[in-house]
Amino acid sequence: MTSRNTLKPPRHAPYPDALDHKLFRQWMRTPHDVGGETDVPIPWEETEDEQWGARAYVTCECLAWRGVWCAEERRRKQNVDLGNAMYLGLPYYGRWLLAAARILVDRDHVTLTELINKIDEVKKRHGKK
Amino acid sequence: MAEKHGHKHAPMVEEISDFEALEIAVRELAIEKGLFTAEDHRKFTEFAEHIGPTPAGRLVAKAWLDPKYKKLCLEDGIKASLAVGVDWLKPTGFGTPSDYTDLRVLEDTPTLHHVVVCTLCSCYPRPILGFQPEWYRIPNYRRRLVRWPRQVLAEFGLVLPPEVEVRVEDSNQKCRFIVMPMRPAGTEGWTEDQLTEIMTRDCLIGVTLPKPGTTTNLKLPLHRAVNPAHH
Repeated sequence: MTSRNTLKPPRHAPYPDALDHKLFRQWMRTPHDVGGETDVPIPWEETEDEQWGARAYVTCECLAWRGVWCAEERRRKQNVDLGNAMYLGLPYYGRWLLAAARILVDRDHVTLTELINKIDEVKKRHGKK
Repeated sequence: MAEKHGHKHAPMVEEISDFEALEIAVRELAIEKGLFTAEDHRKFTEFAEHIGPTPAGRLVAKAWLDPKYKKLCLEDGIKASLAVGVDWLKPTGFGTPSDYTDLRVLEDTPTLHHVVVCTLCSCYPRPILGFQPEWYRIPNYRRRLVRWPRQVLAEFGLVLPPEVEVRVEDSNQKCRFIVMPMRPAGTEGWTEDQLTEIMTRDCLIGVTLPKPGTTTNLKLPLHRAVNPAHH
């Protein structure tokens, strides 16, 4: 940034001419590209997988088995397209599951309305008020 | 959220979570629309419930005992897997869609130790090693292992002398890895079964080394699932 910019009110993003090659690269970074980022040591633990997670994994694999998508497309949807907040905030299999939901809608296999109605129906069926 | 004390979980409300509802909805819609069949899902689930780290441990044990087999392991991990009962083409006929069919076995030497990560996601040789531990999936391990490998290994209790080079292998979508450590002292005359027992999942990822008398992964606190998966 040049010093003249610091005297102006803050902008939501740098001026186009302020994005040099290095900054451009930074903005192109995808949420899942975390290798080498700094972080602090944490206590390691084992975590039992939830049944819904295991089932979501199988659903994703079946969608690929039968040609609805390929693993690269799944990875893009679950690791890149979600954005940073969802990438870091959702459980591992939560991202698999969201990607599966998205491919059904994106490929017009179901409409968003169908999906929402189905979720409501499932919740009612399983006793959620 | 599950409580953290390890005893049996007693849910306060009898209702399904948002993830559970979405999982059921997506699966049922996919089946209703004919994208795959309930039988496909059942068949893949059965496959997924039966994979685990034992075949990979046996592969290393066999290689320790048989130099010819070891050569095969280093040349063609997929072919070598057959000898320990793992056919990478299962269960679809072309393998699991997400694991591909390329397994590299990384041989440790007195001056070289391997450890595996997947910095971009959590690629892992599922057909021969089962499902990843959660710590392998989270950003912390992926961020730090490539930057401070010795420190991260030390956190797993593996302190390597400076003369041993640490090589971090970054898995990718097309290629999966297991570590073949050196056969530890004190295992002379052991059978394949005995050697298989000490080749734990942690040893195959490379965060620990096999040791006579140690047949389980590093003891870590366990966070239990509300409704645990069967694998």
